[in-house]
Amino acid sequence: MVESSFSATGISKSFGALKVLENVSITINSGEMVGLLGPNGAGKTTFINIVAGYEHQDSGSVSLDGNSLDGMAPHDRARIGLARTFQSGRLFSNLPVSENIALGALGLGTTTKIANERTNSILEILNLDPLANLKAGSISHGNARLVGLARAVAANPKYLIMDEPAAGLNEHEVPHLLDALSKINKDLGCGMFLVEHNVGLVAKACSRVVVLNTGNLIFDGTPFDALNNDAVKSAYLGDTSLEETAESSKK
Amino acid sequence: MIQAILDAISLGGTYALAALGLGLVFGVMRLVNFAHAELITISAYILVVTNDLPLLVSFIIAAVVTTLLAVAMELLIYRRLRGTGPAIMLIASFGLSVLLQRVYELIFGALPKSAAIAPWMSGEVKVAGASVTISSIATVVITIVILLIAGYLIERTSLGLQLRAAAIDFKTARLLGVRSNRLIAAAFAISGVLAAIVGFIVVVENPQVSPMYGVNITILALVGIVIGGISSLRGSALGGFMVGVILSLLNTFLGNARVYAYSWLFLLVLIILLVRPGGIMSKANEMERV
Repeated sequence: MVESSFSATGISKSFGALKVLENVSITINSGEMVGLLGPNGAGKTTFINIVAGYEHQDSGSVSLDGNSLDGMAPHDRARIGLARTFQSGRLFSNLPVSENIALGALGLGTTTKIANERTNSILEILNLDPLANLKAGSISHGNARLVGLARAVAANPKYLIMDEPAAGLNEHEVPHLLDALSKINKDLGCGMFLVEHNVGLVAKACSRVVVLNTGNLIFDGTPFDALNNDAVKSAYLGDTSLEETAESSKK
Repeated sequence: MIQAILDAISLGGTYALAALGLGLVFGVMRLVNFAHAELITISAYILVVTNDLPLLVSFIIAAVVTTLLAVAMELLIYRRLRGTGPAIMLIASFGLSVLLQRVYELIFGALPKSAAIAPWMSGEVKVAGASVTISSIATVVITIVILLIAGYLIERTSLGLQLRAAAIDFKTARLLGVRSNRLIAAAFAISGVLAAIVGFIVVVENPQVSPMYGVNITILALVGIVIGGISSLRGSALGGFMVGVILSLLNTFLGNARVYAYSWLFLLVLIILLVRPGGIMSKANEMERV
């Protein structure tokens, strides 16, 4: 039996004279939660835009279970099992939370019954039941992030790409997100690719970390090793969050 | 008085149906489909030319032809222009509208075509001691039933949820995997059915059908969806209803000054838009630029 995997191989991308990604290869296995770290300008957003189909690479290839996704539009990638969340949330503000989540499933052609079952299950897993009937535009930023995550999960994806899910969350909301990520990974078993600035969140949530710096992959290993890796430290030089996280990781 | 209220509700309901048809297409394509007028017109023409057939058969033919024309508009014109930008789409819809008017002129002639559609509906019945026309009552009943069916379709079904989501943010709906071609074709088909029903309602009252027959109602329905909230299907229907009710009441109560009914209506529309630029169903500061 061939194990499911999602691969980006030899991805390079330039915007004019600016090289944003250079020969980057990352593979995520089924059920694995991988964190993508990197300082500002490392190429993280460009990389996930390419793997999700929002931008085209200059060279390299993206594949799911051995099948090439190159040239495939984002919505077609969604249909074959690649879901993503958005930094901006992109919720339908006038629709209730439950309908926002159901749309994640309905968009892919599932029946209303299955979509409702999935919605109820995800609402329960993520403790969002009390918000089910509230308009998405009326809930807090932190909860909106969780609803965006729930909607992506409702598509029952094989792989889930999350674009900075902790951005804008306060210190009380981050543990809820961490808990939600852990539950999704455990209960639904989809591969997860977490692109995040919050080093602490990635270190706690992920079993594996890849680090980009100036468009190059400089590290691929465990979060503990990443926090103690010289190249990673150098990339984050001056970023106190990494030093603090490394300290807390040692403790 | 009862007749005036019934007239107001029936005209409001008719405009609500027309506005809902326009709003559905606008929701999924961000297209103001001026050619919706010609869908209403073709329905009315077919009802007139098939007047010898039983009314139900005649209506079914009108509904099928109107729906097919609506879907053909999408498949042959709008789908090919999708992505070219709102200005080009708008001009295309305007051009299609004028083109269809000329085609109708070639087929049916420039002079109005008329026939007594369901003449029994011109009769009167007593309601609470007042005489009201059967057509007024029938129109109110038909519009309530159709709005309830449309409401169920839009609020309670998977297709309806996708249409509502697309009306709010079509791009995100598409990114979630919603099949855009299918959804847009469905919106045009429903819009065609609604146009056929509007054509039936108006041709019973006014059977003098000419190539520009549906233009007036479409323009007023467009006004309705703007004041109701262009990104909300409920807002579109409510806006259309309000325009119809206000216009009907103005026509009734202005007496000899009814020539100014449109002036008062548009003054009111301007005031509503100044207070709530995004329409009455939007938040006060919400406005979509199209």
